[in-house]
Amino acid sequence: MKKTILSILTILFLGLSTTFAADDKEIKIKTSAICEMCKERIERNLGLSKGVKESNLNLKDKVVTVKYNPDKTTPEAIKMTIINTGYDADGQIANQKAHNKLPECCRKTAAAH
Amino acid sequence: MAKYLTAGIFLLISLSLSAQRITGSVNEQIESNLKPITGANVYWSGTSQATATDTSGKFSIPRSAQSNLLVVSFVGFRNDTIKIGAESELQIVLQNDQTLGEVTVRGSSSSIDRLSPHQSEIITTRALAKAACCNLSESFETNASVSVSYSDAVTGSKQIQMLGLNGTYIQTNVENIPSIRGLASTFGLNFVPGTWIQSIDVGKGAGSVVNGYESMTGQINVELQKSDSREKLYLNTYVNNFGRAEINLNLAHQLNKKWSTGLLTHGSTLRNRIDKNGDGFLDLPLYTQYNAINRWKYQGEKVMAQFGVKALYEDRLGGQKDFKHEMRGTTQAYGFGARVNRYEFFSKVARLFPDQPYKGLGFIVNASVHDSKSYFGLNNYDGRQKTLYGNLIYQSIIGNTNHTYKTGLSYLLDNYNEQYRSISLKRNESVPGAFFEYTYNNLDKFVVVAGGRVDFHNLYGTQWTPRLHLKYKLTEQTILRASTGKGFRVSNPLAEYYGNLVSSRDVLFREAIRPEVSWNYGASVTQEFKIGNMSGNLIVDYYRTNFENQLVADLEDPRYIKFYNLPGKAYANSFQAEANITPIRRFELKLAYRLFDVKQTLKNNLDEPVLLPRMMVSRDRVLFNAGYSLPYDKWKFDFTVQWNGKKRIPYMGTMPEHHVPTDLPSTMAPSFYNLNAQITRTFPKWDVYLGGENLANFRQKNPIMGASEPFGQHFDAGMAWGPVVGRMIYAGIRYKIVR
Repeated sequence: MKKTILSILTILFLGLSTTFAADDKEIKIKTSAICEMCKERIERNLGLSKGVKESNLNLKDKVVTVKYNPDKTTPEAIKMTIINTGYDADGQIANQKAHNKLPECCRKTAAAH
Repeated sequence: MAKYLTAGIFLLISLSLSAQRITGSVNEQIESNLKPITGANVYWSGTSQATATDTSGKFSIPRSAQSNLLVVSFVGFRNDTIKIGAESELQIVLQNDQTLGEVTVRGSSSSIDRLSPHQSEIITTRALAKAACCNLSESFETNASVSVSYSDAVTGSKQIQMLGLNGTYIQTNVENIPSIRGLASTFGLNFVPGTWIQSIDVGKGAGSVVNGYESMTGQINVELQKSDSREKLYLNTYVNNFGRAEINLNLAHQLNKKWSTGLLTHGSTLRNRIDKNGDGFLDLPLYTQYNAINRWKYQGEKVMAQFGVKALYEDRLGGQKDFKHEMRGTTQAYGFGARVNRYEFFSKVARLFPDQPYKGLGFIVNASVHDSKSYFGLNNYDGRQKTLYGNLIYQSIIGNTNHTYKTGLSYLLDNYNEQYRSISLKRNESVPGAFFEYTYNNLDKFVVVAGGRVDFHNLYGTQWTPRLHLKYKLTEQTILRASTGKGFRVSNPLAEYYGNLVSSRDVLFREAIRPEVSWNYGASVTQEFKIGNMSGNLIVDYYRTNFENQLVADLEDPRYIKFYNLPGKAYANSFQAEANITPIRRFELKLAYRLFDVKQTLKNNLDEPVLLPRMMVSRDRVLFNAGYSLPYDKWKFDFTVQWNGKKRIPYMGTMPEHHVPTDLPSTMAPSFYNLNAQITRTFPKWDVYLGGENLANFRQKNPIMGASEPFGQHFDAGMAWGPVVGRMIYAGIRYKIVR
């Protein structure tokens, strides 16, 4: 009984320790995000993609700051994720299909709000 | 994450209450000076009404009818949510967010409602995802106040307990419509699939009078997934090692700006015959359930309307391993079967007053038919309940929004028709009622809710139900609450003690059963604290429920189940201490201890009253939960241990034919642990989860008395006090398309 609890706790804490790995790189990418919903969508899709530790989009200057593990992903792959979410990334144009799927308020034609 | 909600708010309260707009300014603090923030978003939570601050940091927004929570957000600062009461001018100081990496909208998995005058806890979708399986009865696994109890070893029905008393004493509403009651109390919790649930609000102690007189120990309100939700499609599939398979599909579609429709569906089945303990009986009944809701919502400026239909079919088959449906009514094998059909119509219409957000008129109508047909060996039990419920609620203020009230009229029509062997129970209840609830709110610091209702019961006369709630915010971190109130309900003995019918016990109604009447008193302290980066809270509460009358289901004599009115006193004391700590970000710990002292007066064999501890109630219970997640919930780990103390179970020996002892000895069931764990991996559109329940593989030995002779005199499957099946491993996938 106690063994089971202990082993499960160990697994839990092992999970914890993996998050504090060093050697992360940071990259800043300019996007075409417009509103809070865009921010949420981009941050989530980046955050859940391989090798990405953290992503944070500043709606003031539309720049997303991404912390990633260079062994697992590349700046190109990160930009591709943004493009496939439906947004421009550093001048590269968004995937039109993905862009068309966005709600009206998040499309590039939407008025600032 | 409550700190985000309250940090750094300075409210300048102006008492000019006639203003229909909220105006104010948003600033940041630089040393001791305030600097205006330009372009901060100001919006009503959950609505599309939004504005932004101008170059001097000023904003103006009309009051919203749908929300009183004003959210102020600006990148680089912590979001602020302010509950707007009477004030019309605000000065908001946003706090600079030093930890910018985590500016994601992320609720913690369960939260204590700081604003409510009732002591309540909200279980969010996040907490529900901690235990993937399967329906409302299993949604409380990580909750300290509500626990799941085992009713019997054959039917597979699960019951919940709160404050040491059965779930039937909790008023369980689905979207504020009293729902799991009457005959549905047997399996009703299994009729709300987990993936349909958006959130659960658990309130301890006396409830609000607005929803009726039936709440005795607390109220649970379940909010289902909305038709205008951003999740267009949600598919969940689940399978476990016993062969239970489940599929849920939720669809939400916005037809146009005002209309939306939603469909919630569920299908599940278990076809495997499992008998791990080798007693010749199925550990779990075979079953199939189909369940669906379709609803429509209209959201206009002045009118909000919602209506829909629910339909449910469930078929269960249990008993001896080789029992087949065709053997029903014979002694070839002992069988249990239950077939439930339930249909429901509901509608809610609200008249809104966009210029007077505090005002509202709502009308709820609900009609349902619940039909169940069961058999236990050679005994048949059929029940049908038809219910019509209507509630008209008007809400407004007296002078200013410090004084608000809700008043209205209600009507309940309940028609019961039950037949168990030769016992026929028929009842027609027609109950018109009226209620009034006054709330005094002094800036959320001091809140009083005083309510009363009067109901004219056609069978039991006029019922008067007063209730009172107090909340006092001692400091920003300390909240005191107290409540008291009366509860009244008409019991349904056979539906509530359904599991005990799977036995050779004879059902005896010793007298006409009167309604149950109780008084509940309670008090609680909520203390929030911060040690370094570690935040947390500590909640201590005490509740006492006193019964003026209670339905007694006397199981002391193994030959009978005797129903009678309470011959003396009955009470339940509940003490609980709970600590929630977040030592580091995204890591949550919960530790709770609960003590019950529940006693009930029974009649011994000489008809003398004896006060005895209530059966099947553990005196002590400890709960520990740890949850950790990576950013965006990429990986989520969750682990729960429950320790359930000893509980009293009735005497199960043989009865001497000639000399029946006056007070029968009772037995104690041992304490046991229950371990659950789950891992979830999230992909942009998918979630995959793997988990286990009862990982310590604890099983009650011989949960069925006299299993070898089910048609004999000593057969009793209603004495299950622990898990009947062992370790359960499950896995599943969730797929979502978000708008």
